[in-house]
Amino acid sequence: MALLDANHLTKTYKNVNAIQDVSFSLEHGKCVALLGPNGSGKTTTLRMLAGFIKPTSGDIAFDQDSLTKDFRNFVGYLPQFPVFHNWMTGKEFLIYVGQLAKLSKDEAIKRADELLELVNLKEVRKLKISKYSGGMKQRLGIAQALIHAPKLIILDEPASALDPIGRREVLNLMRELKKDATILFSTHILNDAEEVSDEILLLNEGHIIEQGSMHELESVQNTVTLKLAFSEEPKFIEDRLKEIESVFKVNQIDKDYLLTVHDLQTARKQLLEVVYQENWQLTKFEVAKTSLEDLFMKAVKK
Amino acid sequence: MQWFVILKKEILENWRNFKWVWVPIVFIIFAVMDPLTTYYLPKIMDAVGGVPEGSIIDIPMPGAVEAMMMSFGELSLLGVLITVVIAMGVISGEMKSGVYELIMSKPVKYSNYITAKFASVVLLILLSLILALITGWYYVLILFGDIAFTALLTSIAFYGCYFLLIIGIVLMVNTWVQSPGVVAFLSIIFIIALNALTSIYGHIFTWSPALLSDYIQVYLASGELVSEIWYSALVALLFTYLCLQFAILTLKNRAV
Repeated sequence: MALLDANHLTKTYKNVNAIQDVSFSLEHGKCVALLGPNGSGKTTTLRMLAGFIKPTSGDIAFDQDSLTKDFRNFVGYLPQFPVFHNWMTGKEFLIYVGQLAKLSKDEAIKRADELLELVNLKEVRKLKISKYSGGMKQRLGIAQALIHAPKLIILDEPASALDPIGRREVLNLMRELKKDATILFSTHILNDAEEVSDEILLLNEGHIIEQGSMHELESVQNTVTLKLAFSEEPKFIEDRLKEIESVFKVNQIDKDYLLTVHDLQTARKQLLEVVYQENWQLTKFEVAKTSLEDLFMKAVKK
Repeated sequence: MQWFVILKKEILENWRNFKWVWVPIVFIIFAVMDPLTTYYLPKIMDAVGGVPEGSIIDIPMPGAVEAMMMSFGELSLLGVLITVVIAMGVISGEMKSGVYELIMSKPVKYSNYITAKFASVVLLILLSLILALITGWYYVLILFGDIAFTALLTSIAFYGCYFLLIIGIVLMVNTWVQSPGVVAFLSIIFIIALNALTSIYGHIFTWSPALLSDYIQVYLASGELVSEIWYSALVALLFTYLCLQFAILTLKNRAV
């Protein structure tokens, strides 16, 4: 059975639906990305699962008979902008929240040491949190979410606000965590989702518009974008490109031609043949990655 | 136990930001200020001079009980103010900064959270109150006259009930708004309203907690504990309990 089933969750604020009829289930040991633009309801969904807000309708069921129990026992939560008691040291804070999560003092100390090691904060454990950098705080935030060995780890935009190095550290950490916990994290960066997640929930305006593995999502879209550029603009190029049967849309952005094609294999073959025959001065031939925007545009338009 | 964990953290925090040092000192200053200046005023005026030749200034020396009531009086005003300032951010401050969200993502019981915070403020304020009043009493003893130490302790016990209520009110208001300044403002309005109502309708609200210091004066003067002092103290404790219950309820129903 799934670790968690969310059934028809809806949250209404003053007649505005923050999220509407959101249903999904999380399998044990999966890492799931909740993907969507700002304001699509990611944080609302996560806070609901963390037990902070009650759904207006719908319910959340853990595999334990836990409708009656406190969710917070099984869930570790990292808010989008974690704030700590800045007068404490990193280690003190971890021990404090560990004890709040019903660990004994000895257990909390032991667990804090392990986690400080894991998130690479061992050297600064005796430093006041007010002296920590943004990346350190984010890692401390992840450590505090893990302190009571939760079954489900919920991370709200864990890497979005970090510089490339901090982002890399957090993503590596998540890859590490994936081995023995279920992770649900939100992001608006497709690359992050692609890199660590097994599954993706695509959220827009409070609705889930797609869900499945990254691979499935891409194949559902069924089209690929190719980017072409030439050193000198050939004549009648647009008409000529449109004649190729596997190309079904041509756009021009600056000097790049964006071709939307159905089947990458045949399109590539046919295109290069035409380029060769016409002796066009090709300077760029790129299979563009499906960007979040493309994915959205396609999914929303459907 | 979770309750002790929160309490310990609060005590440690008050230690690190020196509240355990400055609050008792400030309370002691409030308590000794009036009796001392009253006693030394004639001598100060003599020393400073400037009084026209031949004028006779006769400042009556207050009795021991009156002098002791000066200490209580200052604490009722400035002590209450400091208490409000200390308690105004204990919960609202954590909500405002956002730590509250992290804390509440752990299985923390709202009742533990509120009552442990309450206990931490009560510890600090009651300790300061006891130290201050004992110091005040010491000066009254050597400058004005005798008051039995047991009588003082009994008075402190009743007076403490008033401060419990103040702290209860501030904590309750803490759960309504996220700005410590607004918490202080609303709490002071509440306390002023309580005192104003009591002074206008004192003959009806004989059990009002705001009358506790009046009854303490009666007790110190006559050695008799009137029945109203018991009612006032009980009402203070009851209202404190209700404030805390209401605060717990508010937190439970509030989206974090």
